[in-house]
Amino acid sequence: MPAPLLIAAKDLRQRLRDRSALVIGLVAPLVIAALMSVAFRGVETFHFDLGVVDADGGPVAAQLVRALHAPELSPVITVRAQDSEFRAAAAVRSRTLQAAIVIPPGFSASMTGARPEPITTLASVNNALAASITSSIVSTFTAQLDADRLSVATAVAAGAPGGRVAALAGEAAGLRIPIQLVQRPVGSRELKPVSYYSPAMALFFLLFLITFTSRSFFVERAEGMIERMRAAPIRPSEILAGKALSVLVFGTASMGVLALVTTVAFGAYWGSPAAVAVVCLAMVVSVVCLTALVIGLARTQRQAEGIASAVVFGLALLGGNFVLVSAEPDLLRRLALLTPNGWALRAFTDLATRGGGLHTVAVPVLAILAFSAVAGVAAVSLSRRAVSA
Amino acid sequence: MRAALAVTGASLRRVGRDRRALFFLVVLPIVVIVIVGATVRGFSTVRVGVVDLGAGRAGRSLTVAMQRAGNLDVRRYPSLDAATTAVARGEVSTAVVLPRGMSSAIRSGRAVTVAVMADRANSTQQAAAAAVASVVAEEGALVQAASFSSSQGLGSYEQDLARATTLQRRAAQVGVVTRIVDSNAQTLPQGFGYSAPTMLVLFVFLNAVASGAVIVETRRMGLYERMAAAPVRQSAIVVGETFAYFTVALGQALLIVLVGAMVFGVSWGDPLAASVLVVLWALVAAGAGVLSGTLFRTPEQAGAIGPPVGIVLGMLGGCMWPLSIVSGFMRQVGHLTPQAWAVDGWTDLMSRNGTLVSVGPELAVLAGFAAGLILLSTVRLRRVLA
Amino acid sequence: MNVRAPPADPEGLRAAATGHVLSCTGLTKSFGRRRAVDLVGLHVDAGQIYGLLGPNGAGKTTTIKMVCGLLDPDEGTVAVAGRDIRDLAVRALIGYVPQEVALYPDLTARENLAFLGRLYRLRGRVLGERVDEVLEVTGLSDRARERVEAFSGGMRRRLNIAAGLLHHPRLLVLDEPTVGVDPQSRHAILERVRSLGAGGMAVLYTTHYMEEADRVCDRVGILDHGRLIAEGTKRELVARLGEKDRIDLVASGDMEALAAACRSVPDVATAAAVDGRVNVVAGDGRRVLPALLEAAERSGAAVHSVEVVEADLESVFLHLTGTALRE
Repeated sequence: MPAPLLIAAKDLRQRLRDRSALVIGLVAPLVIAALMSVAFRGVETFHFDLGVVDADGGPVAAQLVRALHAPELSPVITVRAQDSEFRAAAAVRSRTLQAAIVIPPGFSASMTGARPEPITTLASVNNALAASITSSIVSTFTAQLDADRLSVATAVAAGAPGGRVAALAGEAAGLRIPIQLVQRPVGSRELKPVSYYSPAMALFFLLFLITFTSRSFFVERAEGMIERMRAAPIRPSEILAGKALSVLVFGTASMGVLALVTTVAFGAYWGSPAAVAVVCLAMVVSVVCLTALVIGLARTQRQAEGIASAVVFGLALLGGNFVLVSAEPDLLRRLALLTPNGWALRAFTDLATRGGGLHTVAVPVLAILAFSAVAGVAAVSLSRRAVSA
Repeated sequence: MRAALAVTGASLRRVGRDRRALFFLVVLPIVVIVIVGATVRGFSTVRVGVVDLGAGRAGRSLTVAMQRAGNLDVRRYPSLDAATTAVARGEVSTAVVLPRGMSSAIRSGRAVTVAVMADRANSTQQAAAAAVASVVAEEGALVQAASFSSSQGLGSYEQDLARATTLQRRAAQVGVVTRIVDSNAQTLPQGFGYSAPTMLVLFVFLNAVASGAVIVETRRMGLYERMAAAPVRQSAIVVGETFAYFTVALGQALLIVLVGAMVFGVSWGDPLAASVLVVLWALVAAGAGVLSGTLFRTPEQAGAIGPPVGIVLGMLGGCMWPLSIVSGFMRQVGHLTPQAWAVDGWTDLMSRNGTLVSVGPELAVLAGFAAGLILLSTVRLRRVLA
Repeated sequence: MNVRAPPADPEGLRAAATGHVLSCTGLTKSFGRRRAVDLVGLHVDAGQIYGLLGPNGAGKTTTIKMVCGLLDPDEGTVAVAGRDIRDLAVRALIGYVPQEVALYPDLTARENLAFLGRLYRLRGRVLGERVDEVLEVTGLSDRARERVEAFSGGMRRRLNIAAGLLHHPRLLVLDEPTVGVDPQSRHAILERVRSLGAGGMAVLYTTHYMEEADRVCDRVGILDHGRLIAEGTKRELVARLGEKDRIDLVASGDMEALAAACRSVPDVATAAAVDGRVNVVAGDGRRVLPALLEAAERSGAAVHSVEVVEADLESVFLHLTGTALRE
């Protein structure tokens, strides 16, 4: 067996024997991805029960109730008729309804007057989104009413004789707002939280390999084993290659198992296996280079741990491994693209939502490799010192 | 007593010398508070992308209307492709496409269709589309009124549009009044008010559990044997070590409270109740930290297993997302962790102006957790020392 | 890349010509402005045990690292069996035993040995046999499947040395193998080194214990401040002292003053203070003794006991450097 393989095999044996490596590489990311998928199961599909109290019974109220049953709204709301505002409020308080609409008595009749009756929506302080969507839906309906009233008022203001108001109102009632919204399919899969956080956690714990490997390197050096290896008939570069190889194997295995388990067990969607594999490999290469860089920069085990922690958490935070990067402000999203894991996450997001294969991930993979090259070049000169010291 | 303080002093000095520990104690939590604080605004606003293909007057006017709407967070994209990508990546929940020739079509009285990107089965996109619809309708009302009026031969389109705009602002409209039917807020305020307390709960605990490595190391170096050989009672070592963990946890918590209040303007609620909550949380963390120091065999294990344990408990306990969004079962499971009770306590103090009395139940449960953990860790540490 | 093509010497003709297993010439190494090793040259033949003696910081470890190819010399050459050390393959001829126990605590004895054996290009059946052989010799055969972290200090030491012998090197290099070792294990280690030498292996051995060098080494080099200040067989070195004795005074008080007082006595060559003792080298011990005690009394130190010993390596070192070896 060539020396690098030999050293890598030995390292892997030690990794497997040390339970903490398995925790970091497999158990922790799986547990966390599982938790996230369970926690977000209810959030993935935003749907709520909307109560409606029709205290008016007039034609306009009937129009509104019909509008609420429109097919576009059915994925978002289920309409539940309520007898009274009091009952509806109680239901919202007890969370059997997430929000409710109350159409007041005399609502239809008030449309022709100067003081239209307002519609009341009932909402809970704990469900701001349901509240805002409910009032949006109602507003869309009232907007048409307002548009008709405004049309008449504008005509009057423009000089229409007072006697024509009723006729104008009759005419306006037949109008439709000339800017109509049509839905167009996005043509991409929905990014489920589990499909985002599975790769995010896998990548986060992959980054942990930097801490792990750099620490074990310094431990090995303190044990005198690096020197012992150097006294053997092998080159320093072969020792480094062996170390790199073990990270490569462990990292790839960890990513691979996570992709498989989260897909099968939690329904995460990763996308084209070939493209996923390429992104994983590129990411593992960058972890190898970063590890070499940390080893090159540090002089002691403690320093290595310190630098590695800062690197790992810095990259994970910036790259979006903890918070959905797409929800971040612009600046943070741009900063995420300074990190290899940020690019990898973008690649995984694109694969999971828009599909596609290798061409989808070409740019992210190149970016990750460029990052690796920079770290690698910096590391090469520095690491030599670490091996010979 | 003096011996216990000597043990505390030695442990604290070691933490102080360890720059890595300082990074986790000080730098990391504050950075996370900033990032999460900047991100967690989105519980009530909908992120919407806009592509204005025509770049005409009507398009601009509709874009401005959307920007003015309180519940929309509008981002502009140069092309349909960019907007589609942004929707796919979830950067915006939906995107609105304003067509070419919109202005001229409107002026000539033709209807205009504005596309909003939403898949039927995607409820987030549907919800966003509903939010966009009301703004579009309001803007459309102006156009309808102006067209209607000018079609009656009562002035030009522009004149009538100006009239309609003034009238829309002045005339009574069909109002939509939102009534909040409950006052029992279950989530923390958004922004830093959300991230600061949850990250305090998360990091103080996580850090204590991870720094159990120090006890493991002390054990392995034979320092406890050495201490035990000195004329010192065992209890002094246990008390001293626990007190060191408590001091570190309390220091970190106070730092987060102070930075939160002074830099990010977080209001932590009733000072007395908040202080009690902070102290109890530091005790919980100290107990957990010493316990982890007696459970792990090697410092590597403590360093590797500690943080994931802290993160998982934090997730279960509502540090990463409000427990009000998860299922009832997960909420119950979450309340097996002390984290959930601490977050509940902060929610009461910060969102409902809670007092020492109203957070009494949470404080009592936390005191129970603290007592249990410290008792358990004492028993374990004594066994290790013996 | 510090590996350069070696000078062509396929049949090891030069080794045959010189007969040395290890041959170092003009080795020099500086760290910053400090010269750690200065023009050191030494040879070790097959079956010879060469002791490199010197106090801590004399340059022993630096010399050894250059011999094993772990450190490139600024000047000078190292050849093993006539081949330049810069040739990687030459390292397979050397068995290196580091001062600290260098083994993976979390791997078993057998796993450690198999790993190191493979690094030295042992394969298959030969590897298995050698590992078994080494385990047998160290008496660890029945514990081969246990992790090294479970071993006692003495067992780890034995395994540490054995690991350097797996590939049957022609040159064994031991860096202070007895530091911090209990007397019993120490005895076993010295016996083992002696038998390896007797079996025809060339051994380079560093120590700062004089009596060890006295016991096992055929040839001794004394290193001080990076220079090889004397070299030869033990007999040759002692003979260079001439007819001299060493007198050890065990005393209390101002030891430096006592040493100075001793040096003022006629016929005293050198005197140096070491923890509670002053070692004196003088022409004829018994004749000088009264004057020495008188001088001691004048210096104000209280002498508790006096011992006159025949010249040994310790006396040689004292004579050559003016300082005692143990610091």
